[in-house]
Amino acid sequence: MTQATHTATGIDLSGDRRRRRRESVVRGLFLAAGLLSVAISLAIILSLIGEAWNFVKGLIDANDLGALWTVGWFPRRGLYDIPTIVIATILISLVAMVVAVPLGLGAATYLSEYASPRARRVLKPILEILAGIPSVVLGYWALTFIGPDVVQRVFTSGGVFSMLSAGIAVGVLITPLVAAVSEDAMRAVPQSLREASYGLGANKATTVRKVVLPAAISGITASLILAFSRALGETMIVFMAAGAVGGSLRTFDVLGPGQTMTAAVASLATGTDQVAGEGLAFQSLFFVGLLLFFFTLLLNWLSNRIVRRFREVY
Amino acid sequence: MKRATWWIAVLAAVALIAAACSSDDSSDGGDSGGSGAIAISGSSTVEPISAVNAQAFSEDTGAGISVAGPGTGDGFKAFCAGDTDISDASRPIKDSEKESCAEAGIDIVELNVAIDGLSVLTSNNNSAVACLTFNDLYALLGPESTGFGTWDAANDLAAEIGGTTQPYPAADLSVTAPGEESGTYDTFVELVLEDLAEERGQEAATRPDYTASPNDNVIIEGIAGSDTSLGWVGYAFFLENQDRVQALQVDDGTSGCAEPTPDSIASGAYPLSRPLFIYVNPAKAEANPSLADFVDFYLSDEGLAAVEQTGYVPLADYTDVRARWEARETGSVANP
Repeated sequence: MTQATHTATGIDLSGDRRRRRRESVVRGLFLAAGLLSVAISLAIILSLIGEAWNFVKGLIDANDLGALWTVGWFPRRGLYDIPTIVIATILISLVAMVVAVPLGLGAATYLSEYASPRARRVLKPILEILAGIPSVVLGYWALTFIGPDVVQRVFTSGGVFSMLSAGIAVGVLITPLVAAVSEDAMRAVPQSLREASYGLGANKATTVRKVVLPAAISGITASLILAFSRALGETMIVFMAAGAVGGSLRTFDVLGPGQTMTAAVASLATGTDQVAGEGLAFQSLFFVGLLLFFFTLLLNWLSNRIVRRFREVY
Repeated sequence: MKRATWWIAVLAAVALIAAACSSDDSSDGGDSGGSGAIAISGSSTVEPISAVNAQAFSEDTGAGISVAGPGTGDGFKAFCAGDTDISDASRPIKDSEKESCAEAGIDIVELNVAIDGLSVLTSNNNSAVACLTFNDLYALLGPESTGFGTWDAANDLAAEIGGTTQPYPAADLSVTAPGEESGTYDTFVELVLEDLAEERGQEAATRPDYTASPNDNVIIEGIAGSDTSLGWVGYAFFLENQDRVQALQVDDGTSGCAEPTPDSIASGAYPLSRPLFIYVNPAKAEANPSLADFVDFYLSDEGLAAVEQTGYVPLADYTDVRARWEARETGSVANP
């Protein structure tokens, strides 16, 4: 600070002490705000680690580490099969991506390349309204419409509660996210690239496919990873629509009920704490929470790496 | 303009502070400190009886009574924390619950108000099964039946145990029943599964992979929703929904197939009959005359008429129960 406040001839321009004190107070406040968010993240991890370690220690003491790889996730019976909830989480997120990627990218392409300014003025707010629907409303919609009228009509063997209907609802939830971020990425592609392509004789569809999309790929990938991690962390929809609230067997059947990591935590936190047998059910909640935290961390790191790799500098 | 904004900000701040400060004395029935309000929680099986009596009593006296049915286990948890005045229970109090009440300094007055027949239900469209023995129920619902998605998957296990009515039909087995928070679950395990489970060196519990719900109406929905379903609830819920579900006859291996009817439940001919209790906190009854009056009403002829009205079976003689309440005798008879 002192360097910048001295002119070449050595005159001190930094002002009187009161002014400097005010500046440092303001600087301190903003620094505190920044450090607070780091501190909160650390506090979350520390609070999870304590009880998660108690959970693992409890299993080790009871000589029961095998409970982490067993027939299903039934925490109130002492069965803590981690693959069950991880598989269900990934399955539902994949179904959500299958729904959201075509819809989201299609909407983004239309909005950025094809829509007239007036159409854009109407459609973009509607897309944002979709983003504003509370997840509990989508969960209820999945339960009362997608489950009985869509999934059960197409696949007669499915039940009202299924990972497929929850996945479709999560897909609808994350579509606006994919659309908004992808559209921003595509609009950021310089117009000169498009004009060069038209100049070479390409039509609009070819330009979009061969010039615009590849140029925007890093932003689009960022949007997909963002949407995927949002889908991984979605709780209310899967809690209501995927069923299996008390626990589920390890299954790959999308047409049946399943319990994701988030739904498992929600069910443990809001349900009864009566257990049959030993009582590590509540601590398993912290273990699953920590697992979820690390999954999201991994995805964030991955997204940073991929985005940096593909970034095109114009 | 700036002055107006400032005033709006001040008013908004005052309004927020006023709202925040005034919200703690809204009583939701859980606060029973002398204000006449009574909090009842616990078994969803006993809830209908308590609810009928609560409504009648509050119409007469204007006392605020809240009745909830999260399950016997959850009810005892709240009772032993001092949050509720009366705990409904469809099973006797457990040792661990007695300990936690004693640790909190809370006495219990156990009052047996009715008898219930735990009904094993299936859909009305199920004509393949009529009577199940305890061994059948173990083969279909016991701890070794995890993963049995169809009735006939249990055939091998049933053949091994013996005393069963197998072979079972090849149909979907969808089980909807109370979960671990429920006294109905505990009673089912204790009456049907415990002995055989101990014999076979298994844990005394049902299979974990079924649709569990603390809400008996949800269980009825689940059973009515599949043609070859299986589940169990208190007798009153079966009576209310006889057009959608049917009660299977149950045979405990010694007395033959018996159907749940008020007579068979009262006489004990139906093997799954169990007592229903209310547990009262005598200290709270001292402090809150409304509470003492309510329990007096509950045990009067008028109050006990609710037992039959809701579909349960009254005791032959309530003299002992009334004497226990008069004397405020603490401790549990059913689990001494």
